[in-house]
Amino acid sequence: MGGLAGVATGDARVPMSEDHDRRAAEMRLVRAAQQGDLLAFERLYRDNERKVFGLCFRLSGGPELAEELTQEVFVRAWRKLGSFRGESAFSSWLYPLTVNVARSEHRSRRRRDARIVATEDPARLERTPRAPMPEAGFDLERAIATLPPGARAVFVLHDVEGRTHEEIAGMLDIAPGTSKAQLFRARRLLREALVS
Amino acid sequence: MTCHELDLLLDDWVDGALTGAKARELELHLAGCAPCRDRERQLRQLLAHAAALPRSMAPPRDLWPGIAERIERGSAWSAFLASWQPVALAAAAALVIGLAAFLWNGSGPAAVRTLAMPSASPQLRAVTNTGIADPVLAAAARDYEQAAGALLEALQRRRAVLPAEDLARVEANLEVIDRALEEVRQALVKDPASPELNRMLVATHRKKVDVLRRVVRLSTAL
Repeated sequence: MGGLAGVATGDARVPMSEDHDRRAAEMRLVRAAQQGDLLAFERLYRDNERKVFGLCFRLSGGPELAEELTQEVFVRAWRKLGSFRGESAFSSWLYPLTVNVARSEHRSRRRRDARIVATEDPARLERTPRAPMPEAGFDLERAIATLPPGARAVFVLHDVEGRTHEEIAGMLDIAPGTSKAQLFRARRLLREALVS
Repeated sequence: MTCHELDLLLDDWVDGALTGAKARELELHLAGCAPCRDRERQLRQLLAHAAALPRSMAPPRDLWPGIAERIERGSAWSAFLASWQPVALAAAAALVIGLAAFLWNGSGPAAVRTLAMPSASPQLRAVTNTGIADPVLAAAARDYEQAAGALLEALQRRRAVLPAEDLARVEANLEVIDRALEEVRQALVKDPASPELNRMLVATHRKKVDVLRRVVRLSTAL
C-alpha cells in the first residue's frame, strides 16, 4: 500500500517490469474512475491514502485537520480526474493537489478562525516540550507542528519530502529565494527548540 | 570568517550549495571553532532526523466513507448544474418570444439588471412595487422576491465552498433569469393591465426561487 511515489521516482528496489505493470494497472483504475467507477477510485484512494495523509498531517500540524484535508484532496481529485492524462504516476499528480488543498484550507481557516493558525511568534516554540535530538522522532513532529505555516510547509517539502526549492516555489506560488529563506528560518527555529 | 558569517552560510554548506573560496573559508573556521562545529553537528542531526521521518502515515480511521458520500452528493450537484442551464435558457427564450408582442414601439433591448449573487441587496427583500396590477399576483411576486433574497443570502454563505466554475455557472444562469424578469417588468410599465404579463412575471419569480432553493440545498450537501 502506498508505494506509488517510490515507483514513480525510480525506486531501485522495484524492477522495471514491475514498475511498468503497476503503472499500467493504475492507469486502468484511473480510466475506470474517469468513467465514473467509484470502486476503481476507492482502489486509487487505498493505494495513496497514507502518503496523502502523511503530507497533510505535517502541513496542517495535526491529525484532525489532516483527516479533513485528506478527504478534501480525494474529493477534489475525483472532480479533476478528467485532467489526469497519465504522464506521471497518479501519486505524483496528487502531490501538488495535496499541497494546494493544505494551503487553501489554511488561508480560509485563517480567515474563519484565527485561533487555529499557528503563531508567527517564535516564542511559541519556547513553550513546546523539549527533548534531546536522539529521541527526536516524536518531538520533531511536535516542533514541526508549531512552526509558522510558511516555514513549516517549506521545511516539510524540502527536508522531509526531499523536494527542491524550484519545485516548492512552483507548488506554493512563491519565489525560490523565499522558499530558501523560509527553510533557513524553519531550521533555525527547530534547532533552537529541539536542542537546548 | 566570523562565527556570525559562518552562521549565515551554514545551511548552504550542509546542503552542498557552498563551493569555492567561501567553502574553504568556512572549513577553516570550523576546524578551529568548537561552538560552530556544534552548530554544524546539530543542523546535520536535525536534517538526518527530518529525512528519516516516515512519509506515509495511516489515518487513524477509515476516511473513505466520508469521501464517497461527498463524491455522491457532488455528483447530484453536477447533474443538477448540467440539467439546469438548458432549462433556464429555454425559459428565458420563451419569455423573450412572448414579450415581442408587448414591445410595440421598436425600442432596443431592455437594459439588463444583473443581480450579483454576492450582494443579496436589501432592495430585493424590501420590495415595494412589483408593477403588477392584480393585488393577489402582486403579493405573490413580493413573497417570491423576499424568498429569493433570503436564498441568495444563504447561497452567499456557501460561496467559499463552491468550485469557481460552478459559481460562475450559477451566476450566469441567475443573470439569464433576472434579464427575463427585467424584460417582463419593462413590458408591464407599458401595459400594466396585461394578465399575460402579470402571470409571466409571477411565473418567472417562481422559477427563480425554485432554482435558488435547489442550488442552496444541493450546495449545502457538498
